Amino acid sequence: MSNHELHLHHEVAPGDEEEINVSSRVLGYVIGLGLALLLTATSFFIAGTNLVWEPSIPVAIIVLAIAQMGVHLVFFLHITTGPDNTNNVLALAFGLLIVFLVLGGSLWIMSNLNQNNMVPMDQIMQMQR
Amino acid sequence: MSMVAVTAHGHSLGIVEHPGPASKRIITGYGFWIFLLSDIIMFSCFFAAFAVLMGQTAGGPTGAQLFELRNVAIETIALLLSSFACGMASIAADVRNQFWFQVAMVVTAVLGLAFLTIEFREFASLIARGAGPTRSAFLSAFFTLVGCHGLHVSAGILWLFTMMAQVYAKGFRADIQRRMLCFALFWHALDIIWVAVFSVVYLLGSMA
Amino acid sequence: MFGKLTLDAIPLSQPIPLIAGGVVLVAILAVLAWVVIAGHLPYLWKEWITSVDHKRIGVMYTLLAMVMLLRGGSDAILMRGQLAIAYQSQGFLPPEHYNQIFSAHGTIMIFFVAMPFVIGLMNFVVPLQLGVRDVAFPTLNSVGFWLTATGALLVNISLVVGEFARTGWLPYPPLSELTYSPTVGVDYYLWSLEISGVGTLVAGINLVTTVLKIRTKGMNYLRMPMFCWTTLASNLLIITAFPILTATLAMLILDRYLGFHFFTNEAGGNLMMFMNLIWAWGHPEVYILVLPAFGIFSEVVSTFSGKPLFGYRSMVLATMAICVISFMVWLHHFFTMGAGPNVNAIFGIASMIIAVPTGVKIYNWLFTMYGGRIRFTTPMLWAVGFMVTFILGGLTGVLVAVPPADFLLHNSLFLVAHFHNVIIGGVLFGVFAGYIYWFPKAFGFRLHEGLGKIAFWFNFIGFYVTFVPLYAAGMLGMTRRMQHYDIYEWRSWMIAAGVGTALLSIGVLFQVAQLVVSILRRDELRDYTGDPWDARSLEWSTASPPPVFNFAVMPEVKTEDAYWEMKAKAAHGEPQPEIHYQPIEMPRNSPTGFVCAFFATITGFSLIWHIWWLVIAGVIGAFVTFVVFAWRDSDEYEIPAAEVERVDRENIAERRSLVTAAGSV
Repeated sequence: MSNHELHLHHEVAPGDEEEINVSSRVLGYVIGLGLALLLTATSFFIAGTNLVWEPSIPVAIIVLAIAQMGVHLVFFLHITTGPDNTNNVLALAFGLLIVFLVLGGSLWIMSNLNQNNMVPMDQIMQMQR
Repeated sequence: MSMVAVTAHGHSLGIVEHPGPASKRIITGYGFWIFLLSDIIMFSCFFAAFAVLMGQTAGGPTGAQLFELRNVAIETIALLLSSFACGMASIAADVRNQFWFQVAMVVTAVLGLAFLTIEFREFASLIARGAGPTRSAFLSAFFTLVGCHGLHVSAGILWLFTMMAQVYAKGFRADIQRRMLCFALFWHALDIIWVAVFSVVYLLGSMA
Repeated sequence: MFGKLTLDAIPLSQPIPLIAGGVVLVAILAVLAWVVIAGHLPYLWKEWITSVDHKRIGVMYTLLAMVMLLRGGSDAILMRGQLAIAYQSQGFLPPEHYNQIFSAHGTIMIFFVAMPFVIGLMNFVVPLQLGVRDVAFPTLNSVGFWLTATGALLVNISLVVGEFARTGWLPYPPLSELTYSPTVGVDYYLWSLEISGVGTLVAGINLVTTVLKIRTKGMNYLRMPMFCWTTLASNLLIITAFPILTATLAMLILDRYLGFHFFTNEAGGNLMMFMNLIWAWGHPEVYILVLPAFGIFSEVVSTFSGKPLFGYRSMVLATMAICVISFMVWLHHFFTMGAGPNVNAIFGIASMIIAVPTGVKIYNWLFTMYGGRIRFTTPMLWAVGFMVTFILGGLTGVLVAVPPADFLLHNSLFLVAHFHNVIIGGVLFGVFAGYIYWFPKAFGFRLHEGLGKIAFWFNFIGFYVTFVPLYAAGMLGMTRRMQHYDIYEWRSWMIAAGVGTALLSIGVLFQVAQLVVSILRRDELRDYTGDPWDARSLEWSTASPPPVFNFAVMPEVKTEDAYWEMKAKAAHGEPQPEIHYQPIEMPRNSPTGFVCAFFATITGFSLIWHIWWLVIAGVIGAFVTFVVFAWRDSDEYEIPAAEVERVDRENIAERRSLVTAAGSV
């Protein structure tokens, strides 16, 4: 096989990184830790503050959460978009697709069901007697 | 893995030939990776249940009344630092340094146990106040989701101690290295799930 | 001391379960006695129970499925018998028994017949088709099988100790909550499925990793046999869907055991959420079952038409499309629950869209047959029978996918007929075809062809005589799960369905007879060459049965239909390369799976009966087993090169006499 083909077929186990230099690897984790701490602090701050327009707070917290997950995936789990990581990324993408279908679908369905099947409050009080 | 276009006759010079079975490390790592994805889907069901039942407090206490964000912040930092320590343990394992491996694993364990202690005390306090999981659907969903994560962390700590013992007794044998890879994946994934938990359950929940 | 368990749990006052349980117990003891006295126990332990060989595990899964088919089928005979006579009468099954029977029938057929059958076939065939020696995680494979067996055991124990659930095969709350189902029946269901669910998940992880990471040299994705593609799709669905089942049943367990309020009427529980989540699992589940069957038909149709599969790449696309879309349709199982027209419309349209890739597959099979030299062997009969039957079932499926129509047909016998149409016509016909097709590979002799054909015709005709009346009765308003009825118009349909059930039973008896006769006449039916059907994929290049290492030298693949190409090359007199035999490392046998399942059975049983100290003992036992397994030092053994060479040369010598359509081998 040519070198070209050998290179294309190189695969990496999920969680492994190509880098072997110890100090570079430690630095990677330190950067990840720093970014994650920053994002976490921002999340907690935003949740309790008056400085941000209130209706945007849930969106901000979710965006920050996704960013934190991304930091973990890149810096701690070493998931990259290189060709050697393709299978790992595809599996993750498929899993995430199903998570969004189940979560999103369930929320949409349940809110419709609740709305259509909600019993008026006075009847609930009667039933609880 | 490359999927290359095939000519009509199936054998063209442009095809990259599959080289054969992957190495054991890749096979083990990948299998564990998809197990983790299945676990994440299980958690997403508990998240869905929580989201649906969040408002069903049955006249009982709400999240805003119950959650102490200071403790949640400490738990979050503890788990995040433990992920970092686990990363150091992974590096130590790769360069086969027994001393730094054990030290990093101990640090990971201590931080993980700190997380569990705070969480356990939070649960005990809620139950003592009459805000246990049988009080309302919201609380059932809360205890299940957060408790499931805590159970996973507990199992992870048992696994951690087993890894420490195995590396100590048998050194950095290839199959033990593969298990360390899986453990690291597991531990980092738990921190990712915690990000979702503290954001959705505690931060958003305490604003309700 | 024994929790809720007392001697009252044994149904001494109910003749049917008592006699059935007694007969089965006597049969089991007789078999055990024979095994021990004839000295087969060491062989069984070493070669089967502790085996981590995918071929052995695949056979055991299939055997479990076939035995459970008889149990699930007996439930069906009881139900059809009851309904044939229960016009203005109570019949012979009081409601509390009838309810357990239809619940057990569905649970057993889905979880302990269909699932193990397809998983068994995939386990046996896939490593052979990929040209490799075993699946990714052999010991885990054994654990998965034995946990599935544990689940089956628990369900069957419920027949004689306690009772089974009365809630149907999916235990909807609030009926399944403690308030309305205070006895152990639902608990048997829940723990049996949680335990076997772990086994299924493990099988899913194994097979996905095998297909993606363990293929022989040159086996690019687009050169894999179609069965491997459908295995990939089905197991991706297992990995993503089964966690949903685990979570949802866990929530019901928490409600029942610890007083949680996920689905209760009180304290804010939401029972509709159970239906939503359980069907988010339930719909992918049926595709988990049918996709491998589609794969089997691709293999069978192309082999017995003597042509490569038509439209390979469109088949791959269709398979993966079905895989993804199957997660977008689940609401069609509860159109009537009240989500409203917008939600219903979206899911209804998606349910119709998913029929399109299946249609693509049917056309591809037809075009594969067109212009081929077709041999109507028994597997091919099942394949053609499938095409007719599954299309009809699919059409009725598209009919009920229309929400307004479903408002009339939901939970009627029309629905029951539809899903039996697709499951029997699709899954069962598929696994029967696969069973007969790959039987010679597994055991070294073919199944008796004549008896197989008779069995097929009885099953095929019996199916229509049973279920077409159910379509009619459903249109006339008869609902499912009905223990007796007063409407005269339904009566003749019920009697007709009873006759059909008798025909189906005869068909099953002929299948059993086929197996028995074939074993007795195995020398006449012997497969000496390993390629009894003149087939196209790599498993047929091995001996029948294959040696433990499958391939002496892992083949190098250059095209689709790799083995056909090898045969053609040999026929053209191309020189075969020198074979350099190497020693081969194989995984050691391990009792881990069996022991783990033993503790799982104890834990499950004691959870059901609230024997808490035994639960703790069982869990500790399982954990210790795991640590002992994790601590072992050597997990492989080596087969010397000389031994490999000896086995392989025998196989080559046998094959010299084989003349095929592609040429000699």
